[in-house]
Amino acid sequence: MKKTLAILLTLCMVLSLGVAAFAEDKTDITMWCIATESDSNRASYEKAIAEVTAAHPEVNFTWEAFENQSYKEKIKMAASADEMPDIFFTWACAFLGDFVDAGRVYCLDDAYKAYEGQLSEAMMGNTTYDGKHYGVPTTMNIVGLFANMEILKANGYDEVPGTYEEFIACCDTLKANGVIPFGCSGKETWCVTEYLESIIEKSCGAQILNDIFAGRATWANDDVAAAVDTFQSLVNNEYFDPAGIALSNDEVKANFMAGKYAFYMNGTWNCADFAANPDLKGKVQVAEFPVINADKATLGQLIGGPSDTLAVAASANNPEVTANFCIDLGKAICHFGYLDGCGLPAWNVDYDASSVNELTQTVADICANANAYVLFGDTAMSANTANTYLDYVAMVYGCEVNGADFVAGLAADIG
Amino acid sequence: MKKMYSNKLNIFLFLVPGLILFVGVLVAPIIASGYFSFFDWNGIGEKVFIGFKNYKELFTSKPIGFLRALKNSLLLAGLSVCIQLPFCLWLALKLGKGIKGERFFLSVYFMPVLISTVVIGQLWLKIYNPDYGILNVLLRAVGLDSWAKIWLGTKETALGAVFIPTLWQYVGYHMLLMYAGIKSVPKDLREAAMLDGATDSQVNWFIVIPYIKPVLRVSVIFAITGSLKSFDLIYVLTNGGPLHSTEVPSTLMINMLFLRNRYGMGSTIAVLLIFLCFGFALLVGLIFKEEED
Repeated sequence: MKKTLAILLTLCMVLSLGVAAFAEDKTDITMWCIATESDSNRASYEKAIAEVTAAHPEVNFTWEAFENQSYKEKIKMAASADEMPDIFFTWACAFLGDFVDAGRVYCLDDAYKAYEGQLSEAMMGNTTYDGKHYGVPTTMNIVGLFANMEILKANGYDEVPGTYEEFIACCDTLKANGVIPFGCSGKETWCVTEYLESIIEKSCGAQILNDIFAGRATWANDDVAAAVDTFQSLVNNEYFDPAGIALSNDEVKANFMAGKYAFYMNGTWNCADFAANPDLKGKVQVAEFPVINADKATLGQLIGGPSDTLAVAASANNPEVTANFCIDLGKAICHFGYLDGCGLPAWNVDYDASSVNELTQTVADICANANAYVLFGDTAMSANTANTYLDYVAMVYGCEVNGADFVAGLAADIG
Repeated sequence: MKKMYSNKLNIFLFLVPGLILFVGVLVAPIIASGYFSFFDWNGIGEKVFIGFKNYKELFTSKPIGFLRALKNSLLLAGLSVCIQLPFCLWLALKLGKGIKGERFFLSVYFMPVLISTVVIGQLWLKIYNPDYGILNVLLRAVGLDSWAKIWLGTKETALGAVFIPTLWQYVGYHMLLMYAGIKSVPKDLREAAMLDGATDSQVNWFIVIPYIKPVLRVSVIFAITGSLKSFDLIYVLTNGGPLHSTEVPSTLMINMLFLRNRYGMGSTIAVLLIFLCFGFALLVGLIFKEEED
């Protein structure tokens, strides 16, 4: 009896040592992101994490999600203390660029070799610095013109007007009939840029806006000034809900969903929410903002592009394993995010996507005909420059400055 | 026991935990902020020493608008001292007389202090909502449609609309401080004055208020430094907007630190805020001391 007990205890010890040794082989990976419980991407993150962790038994994965604004502060604090998580969510271009410049991000060039042909170089452009790839794009989004078709039909329009003249005539009709054409949050200035940048792009063309955001051209541009005046004329013509200046984007979006406005211009990540709302079924359509100056702009020039990105910290315990895990995770988030309607896929689609909601499919059609993208200004520019730009945008929306003052001020303060 | 306390080493050892806490939580961050304020630094990359350039830019740059933010804070401090505190004193004097339902009113006035500022912010956001906010609804109901405004969205009204809940929230706090002081006034002093024929207001003016001067001094210091540091309610209600009209130094500091990645400039604002708060606290102390002398 004693012998059996001794053998059993020895076996237990050997087994536990073996388990411990096996556990030590696992790589601990932590991730921070913004897919909180209320975030429309939450479900796709959960599904992707379940799938990828099952495929990577060598990884011990933990993740935390934070609210958008507090996350921006938290990740910067972590970077300054060199205590970053192994994988972190980031926005492309300037936001990620600061971390790359500080040497806090692991280069993914070697890891990407195994994924050749699955992700186009165009989708990686916003996370490429000095020819090296530092990010895994998940979904991409553009600015869409969402229209409440029930309101439009009640005012004699069966579809979203295709030309700018028809569009303005439609706004006049709506206004005359007591309907507010647009809702836009003034409390969150990035919402104003969704309108302003679209109008500048459809007046001056994508190239000039891309050059300005990238610092290759100056803001001192008469065409841009005229486009800003065009936007301001919409404000002065009372096409916008005046109360919007004091409302958050959530409140404005809720107003649109409640039928207070005919149009709402915002990111196409909203497709998931609009498609999932039973009260809006079949009522909302998404379209491209019409061309204002056909000599310089065309349809297919869009505001947006791949921005949501995952990156690997240079301080990760096992960067090679973490990089592979990160790429698989980014790809899976893209997959499930697209199926959920949270955005368009940055990765090539090699699966059945027929279940994607109609709005997202329309956005996919718009993007299929795209000939140029201009990334959101506040993402494309560095934090300090972007906030100076947002200050001027707020002044335009508040009618404190006109187009000429806007470009002159930005040329003086930014370049 | 006496021997133990007479040993200087023992005294030092007992003081060490508190000292570490004081230095670690208060002194070290102030020194660190002072150090960072001399650098151009985005919080992640290399720091570049620029001397007093941040201080110079802070006071001369119009786009940053520090002077406008400081003016707003000082205006809030002025309103707090000239309107909020006299009102609190009036309430405390009324309640201190021992009116019916004294405890009930104390609890009611103190309630906003207990509620989270974010909740209060949400509450006032609903009150000021241009469409369904109770303020505009009431104005429209009594036929004052032209008075209904976008309170938090218009430059002309936003600052006042933000100050009202900021002042309202701490009425109960100052009132309770003063009430405690009033309750400590000896009864025989009051009775002696009454026997000499003093009226209620004369008792308050000549007996109670001089007696609670130390409490009033504390209230004034709290009101001024609290106004200079005001942040949370303004952040929730307007986040410094529209067009920076409700900006105060704290919201500007957050903007510099976390939105613009200008850690050097953010630290400069932090240092100035610390000096301003200490400066005003000393000034108020001096004014009250001169009065007492």
